[in-house]
Order: sequence, then C-alpha cells, then structure tokens
Amino acid sequence: MNFTSLSAPEIQNGLKQGDFSAAEVAQASIDHIARADEQLHSYLEFTPEAALEAAKAVDAALAAGTFDELGPLAGVPVAFKDNMNMEGTHTTCSSHMLENYVSPYTATCVERVLQAGALPLGKLNMDEFAFGSSTETSYFGPTLNPWDLERVPGGSSGGSAAAVAAGLATVTLGSDTGGSIRQPASFCGVVGVKPTYGVVSRYGVVAFGSSLDQVGPFARTVEDAALALNALVAGGKDRMDCTSQSINTDFTANLGDGVEGMRIGIVPSFMEAEGLDAEVKERIEEAAQKLKDAGAEIIEVELPNAQAAMSAYYVLGPCEAFSNLARFDSVRYGYCVEGCKDLAEQYELSRAGGFGLEARRRIMLGSYLLSSGVYDKYYYPAQQVRTLITQDYTYAYHKVDCILAPVSPRTAFKFGEINDPTSMYLSDMFTISINIAGNGGMSVPVGLGAESGLPIGAQLISPAFRDENMFRVAAELERCYGAAPVAPAFAQVDPAKAGE
Amino acid sequence: MTEHVTEKDVRNIAAYVRIGMTDEEVAAMTVDLNNIIDSLKPITEYDLEGVEPTFHPIGGMVNVVRSDNERASFTQEVALENAPKQEDGSFLIPAILGGGE
Repeated sequence: MNFTSLSAPEIQNGLKQGDFSAAEVAQASIDHIARADEQLHSYLEFTPEAALEAAKAVDAALAAGTFDELGPLAGVPVAFKDNMNMEGTHTTCSSHMLENYVSPYTATCVERVLQAGALPLGKLNMDEFAFGSSTETSYFGPTLNPWDLERVPGGSSGGSAAAVAAGLATVTLGSDTGGSIRQPASFCGVVGVKPTYGVVSRYGVVAFGSSLDQVGPFARTVEDAALALNALVAGGKDRMDCTSQSINTDFTANLGDGVEGMRIGIVPSFMEAEGLDAEVKERIEEAAQKLKDAGAEIIEVELPNAQAAMSAYYVLGPCEAFSNLARFDSVRYGYCVEGCKDLAEQYELSRAGGFGLEARRRIMLGSYLLSSGVYDKYYYPAQQVRTLITQDYTYAYHKVDCILAPVSPRTAFKFGEINDPTSMYLSDMFTISINIAGNGGMSVPVGLGAESGLPIGAQLISPAFRDENMFRVAAELERCYGAAPVAPAFAQVDPAKAGE
Repeated sequence: MTEHVTEKDVRNIAAYVRIGMTDEEVAAMTVDLNNIIDSLKPITEYDLEGVEPTFHPIGGMVNVVRSDNERASFTQEVALENAPKQEDGSFLIPAILGGGE
C-alpha cells in the first residue's frame, strides 16, 4: 500500500475499513522520510516515536469503535514549521540563536492538530526567523524543491511545502507574514492557506511581525487543507492570544457547491504588472476562463493602493521584527558567547553570532525606521497606507466574493539566482497586501508553466473572515486541474501494483 | 542612491540593538540599508492628508483584563531549562556595570 500519496479522508476510510492500521501509516511515513529526506532536507527534527505513540491511540480508538469521536485529522501524518513550539522538541526557527532551544510548552496550533488525532512526524526547515523567500537563509542549510532539486522550494515555510509535495507528510503547518505559506505552496505545487488574521491562534509560534503573522496549513488537496483549518479553529478563541477569534465555520461545507453565480475578481494592475512572467500570467488567465466556464462571473476590480503594499510591508515587517527579536538576550535562552567581560559584551557578541545576515539586516532596519524623526517619515505613513489598502479590499468586496490573482510573479528560481535583498523582496509582490489588510489568501495549483515545466499556483483572496469563499473557488479549480500530485521524483511505487 | 544612513549611523544602530559588528560588516550593512531604504521611497510620496492609520488588522480591540486567579505555569526548574548559565535557581550573567576584571 502506498500511503504517502493518500489524502486525509482516504487514510481515514482505509483505517475504518480495516485495510491498514494507523501504526502502518505512521511507519510508512517514517520509512519514506528516512529514505527521501536526506536528499530534500525538509525536516530539521524527526519525531518517529511521537508519531507511533499517536498512532497507537488512533488504533485503540479503532478497536474500541470510537474512531469517529477523534478529530478531523485522525490518523493523518503531519509536521510543523520549526517556529512552532512542541513540548520536548527543538524549536530553532532555523537559527543558530535557537539551535539548542528545547520547547518547554506546546503552541496552540500544534496542540489542536494533535488533539485532532494527527500523527506528528517532526519539525520543518524554514528561512531563519521566517526572513526570506527560499529557505536559503536557514542556518542548517536550504531545503530543495522536490520538483527540481536545483531550485528553491520558496519560503519562508519552504520545508512545510516541500514535505507535502514529496509525500513526507499529508498536512503541514506553516506561517505567513508576507507570503510565506502561499509562495512556497506555489513553488512546490501544493495547496497553502493563509487564513484571515485572527482565525488561528499565534500562541507559541515565534513571532516575526505580530500584526501580520498568521498560521495556516499545507496539503495536496483542498479538502485536506479545509480539514486542517477545521482542526485549528476547533476549541474556539484561544485565551492565550487576545487577537484570536471564535470561528464556527466548517471549511469543508461548501467545497462541493461549485462556483455557479459566484462573482470572482481579477485585478488588471496585477495581471499587467512588470515582472509577471508570461507563463504565470497564462495560467492565471486560463484559471479565470475555467471558473467562468463553471458558471462564475469574472469581474475586474482595482486595488489602486496595492502597489504601495510592498514598501508599507518593508517598513512594518522590520519594525515589528526588530521589536520581537529584542527578546533574544543570551540570558534566558538562546546562543550565548561565554567569557565576556560584562553583560553588554555578552549581548553584542551573542546576538552577532546568533543571528544570520538577513535577521541582522531587518533588526537594524526596524530600529532605524522607528527612530525619532524617521518614524514620521516611514512608519506612520505605512500605517496610513494600510488603511487605504484595507479600504481598497473592502470596496472590491462590494463587487466580488473572492479575488483571483497570481501568487508569485514566477516559478521556483535556482539556488543563488537572486542575491540582493531588494530583488528577493519582489517575490512577495502579489501576496503582501493581504497580510497588510489582514484578510485570507491561499495558493492552489493550476498546472505547470509552459516554459519552465514547474508548478504554478493561483492565489484566491477572500474578504476578512469569509475564508470559506476562497475554499469554494479552490475546490472548483481542483476539479479542473486535478489534485496536486506528489512530485514525480518522490512518488512511491505502490508495492501492490508494482508487478502489474 | 541617496545616503540615508552613514557608517557612523550604522555603528550607532548596532550599539543600540546590541549586535557587535566588524568594520567590513558595517560597510556592507550601510550599503544594504541604503538600498533598502531607497526602495521604501513610495511610502514617503503618498498624499495621506487626513488618512487615519491602521495599527492592527483587528480593529476595536480593548485591553483584556482577567480575574487574578492562581493557575498552573512553568516551574522555576522548567523556566531555567534553556538558560545558557544558571546558579542557585537564577539566571547567571556577567557583571552589568564596570567590567569584570
């Protein structure tokens, strides 16, 4: 039986019918990771014992006839971005600073996925502290793209996307501050969801930009992503995160509804943007046509201030990161240079040695932007621009139920291809306005590029707290294009069919 | 490229954010920061007269107050588990003032 390409409901049906046990599912994933991840480097920490332990509980429930009382991810292999605390595991944020940090507690998002019956396989590589779009800034070395090992998987949640694309987990969690779930999902050809800010608790997730960060799932099918989001919102508002909201939506409810009568927006200035590759544009236009053929109305909407989102983000992100990264003091936890003459020297040498170049850059930029005199020139206007961008979306959603856009201007690039920070920042040009406004966005695969032969994702953008709208459209696109396959080089041959 | 920050400014920022830097690092960081700050120019050119700022995507938040009840938290031992250095149940640090000669 080839478990690694199964969807969550396929696993659950197999378990209920007695075709296989949860222990077998866990073991198959463990074996697949042991074989394939040496090449891919998506996992930073591997927790086979925890997966087998969780599988035991699922098998016990099956034996007792209480399987249906388990949550939406019962028996499903999962893994977590390494900025999420899971008690007893390392949580490194791919940084030298936290190389030896062991979580003393569990993040709410991780807790809820475990509560839902999932089998935890480990922690996944990322750009250091989520600063990057390629995983190249990871202190532990990059993750490779399962579709082409010479290329980046995207980032910052590159390990989370690559693991799902290679069948090394069925569902993973990532976090998205400016595109860090959607861009790697697009590069690796999987579904990646950044819910509306406040849908998922951020408690226990190492903060980058506290007003921008949101946790969300990766999966190969839209339904698996919806089930994961159901697990993440189960239990309601998290009292440990005052920004988390009580969400009562079943994200699987409208997946079969089709798009007949839905109004879907296209943003002309996005489609004509300088830097958008022809092969990406072609796929997004084709997706729009398919949605139209399925009965949706395609309407042009403008987001006149969206082009300011980029500079607003590169003001707000570093400012919030500067503030959040002040906590790494080499005293309570984290990298510490010993033998310093005083505390100031210990701070300076430990933070210099603990943070990578991009982290140091953003800390210093944030500090500069918040300094007296400079604050009024950049930070305050960025927050005013945020109002305009939010108003743009509000206005657009008077006319449409969901917006269709590119995720990334291009397909996955090669390692080392983009060297200067400002060019790297452009990979987020279509994703960051959503973090600025706070509404939901997701990437869903729409085939391969005609030139590159690499996966391309379409971005669906929902009004705030109407994330079910984008899921409904995503399910239609999945019917048109088929569910995301495991990347060909990592697809396992089913032993049962091997002899055929 | 406009010179938004000089090497001297970068040294001051580095001191403020407690990140030690070599001369070469200061020179490279000065170039990087000036490039990045240049790219932020559009934000300074908008007509934002009368536009209220949005500091957070969730509006209308009020301060959260909870009743002052005892509840489980980390033990001292757990809180110290990740400390690079500890002594007698406390975090151990070098001298704060005056160096340790």
